[in-house]
Amino acid sequence: MIKNRTTSNAGSALGSGRSPLINEKSFFARLTDRRSESRGKALIYCSALLMIIAVTAITLFLTLQGLRSFVVDHLNFWTFITGTEWYPDRANNPSFGAFPFIFGSLAVTFLAALIATPIAIGTAIFMAEIAQKWGTKIMQPVIEILVGIPSVVYGLIGLSIVAPFMRQHFGGSGFNLITGAIVVGVMILPTVASIAADSIRAVPDSLRQASYAIGATKWQTIWRVVIPASGSSLITAIVLGMSRAFGEALAVQMVIGNARNLPGSILDPAATLTTIITLSMGHTTTGSVLNDVLWSLGLILLLISYVFIVIVRYLAKRGEVR
Amino acid sequence: MIEMKNNIVSFANNTVTQKRPVQLSVEHVNIFYGENHAVKDVTIPIHEKSITALIGPSGCGKSTFLRTINRMNDLIPSARCEGTISYKAVNILNPKVDVVQLRKEIGMVFQQPNPFPKSISENIQLPLRFAGVRSKKVLKQVTEDCLKQVGLWDEVKDRLDRSATSLSGGQQQRLCIARALALKPDVILLDEPTSALDPVSSAKIEELLLELKTSYTIVIVTHNMQQAARIADYTAFFYQGELVEFGTTKTLFTTPEKKSTADYISGRFG
Repeated sequence: MIKNRTTSNAGSALGSGRSPLINEKSFFARLTDRRSESRGKALIYCSALLMIIAVTAITLFLTLQGLRSFVVDHLNFWTFITGTEWYPDRANNPSFGAFPFIFGSLAVTFLAALIATPIAIGTAIFMAEIAQKWGTKIMQPVIEILVGIPSVVYGLIGLSIVAPFMRQHFGGSGFNLITGAIVVGVMILPTVASIAADSIRAVPDSLRQASYAIGATKWQTIWRVVIPASGSSLITAIVLGMSRAFGEALAVQMVIGNARNLPGSILDPAATLTTIITLSMGHTTTGSVLNDVLWSLGLILLLISYVFIVIVRYLAKRGEVR
Repeated sequence: MIEMKNNIVSFANNTVTQKRPVQLSVEHVNIFYGENHAVKDVTIPIHEKSITALIGPSGCGKSTFLRTINRMNDLIPSARCEGTISYKAVNILNPKVDVVQLRKEIGMVFQQPNPFPKSISENIQLPLRFAGVRSKKVLKQVTEDCLKQVGLWDEVKDRLDRSATSLSGGQQQRLCIARALALKPDVILLDEPTSALDPVSSAKIEELLLELKTSYTIVIVTHNMQQAARIADYTAFFYQGELVEFGTTKTLFTTPEKKSTADYISGRFG
């Protein structure tokens, strides 16, 4: 006889000749038996907790490691972030000036955003406003595929097509800041376009109707009504793309030229926080000054990423109030 | 029969006595959504500077018909339209007609108030900017005039730069009417403009429409028969895509010719 714990109580109640409904104990037991629910709850709480612990642990670990160069190795924080001399291997008097890399990261990020934004917004308008059917049936899947291409592939294309092109037309090695920005710009393009298209689609149709009803053309409706109405979420799309560009290491490293000097123009080779970490981390020993300094660079990277997230949050919140 | 109807409707003293010239002459208009024949062979005159109400149960084609008058149905790819609507001796259903220009002369107000998420003054200035008006002085003057016309000026004159979405529903709808007035159109189409509003705000809109009809031709779709009786000079009753009856509001509500009109206005169906 198969019985679960709720019917076993009811069964004994029947045995004593009373209806299971008036057996308060069993009815009460059934009503209050929430063991399976509490198990599911525990599982979900555990995953959430694990996530929080992971984020906190990474931040904490990076902070502790990153501060070593200032606390243990007595580097000056200010000369570290503003110094332009990066000679970690110099036997006597090594110097750690991280400014070229901070600048390189920010320059690549903003230049990439500058390249990607107009094209991405244009694509988004095309998908969401002009050719809706075509946009959702063909463009959307294409863009999703573009998002999924590994960054090393973008790097390879940059290495074998963009860099030679730059070398031919602008001289030099072709491996420079603007090549990096182009490669990363193309890389973040689908991300920005897809989020921007979503935010344009989220603009209520009633606003488009209102615009047409007062004698607006399609372009006037798009530029003066739809785009302003989706304003803050469009900026969110751009900032998310920028944060992706900021964190990208591999594709940039393959095309940027990896120079330790501050670039004088966008046609000079440069380096970013991420590229210098990936290039140098392999040949350092734990506890060495260079190793600690690289951790500090990682900490700076994390902090600036947090700034991006704060900006996105702020913009999203401002969008809601409106 | 007539006694009973008089119980449910009361007429304002606005019913026209003299006939006004026809502004829009609608002849044999058929509207299709794909295979669906939504409006069937409608012929009605729309008189200048008066209110014409379109009534009928949901899905009877009255909104579809209204949206054809300023070609808003062009936005629906499957919509197709036959027949003629003459306006200033032009058939506005002609595909060659520039709908952008047409909509500057025939404005529209929707069921849900839909102000732009911009400032109050920008809401009224946008149609002018679309039409190429640049002069700040003109823009300011028109803003004030339009807001005064809809009775919103005193309520918002100190916060013209505030977002239009901060206004109440009734205020938003009056702002939308003001926006439709900005280009001084000849005709204003209203698609159930009060159905999303509370009774007090609705009454204000009705009063406003009675004032506006001295200078504009108004066509209003309404679910509310009392509203049609209160404000309209002419009423058209639509049922299942057909125009069942058209006449002065008084005639239609007191001595309807068709049985289905009588049934509908006495609340027996719909």
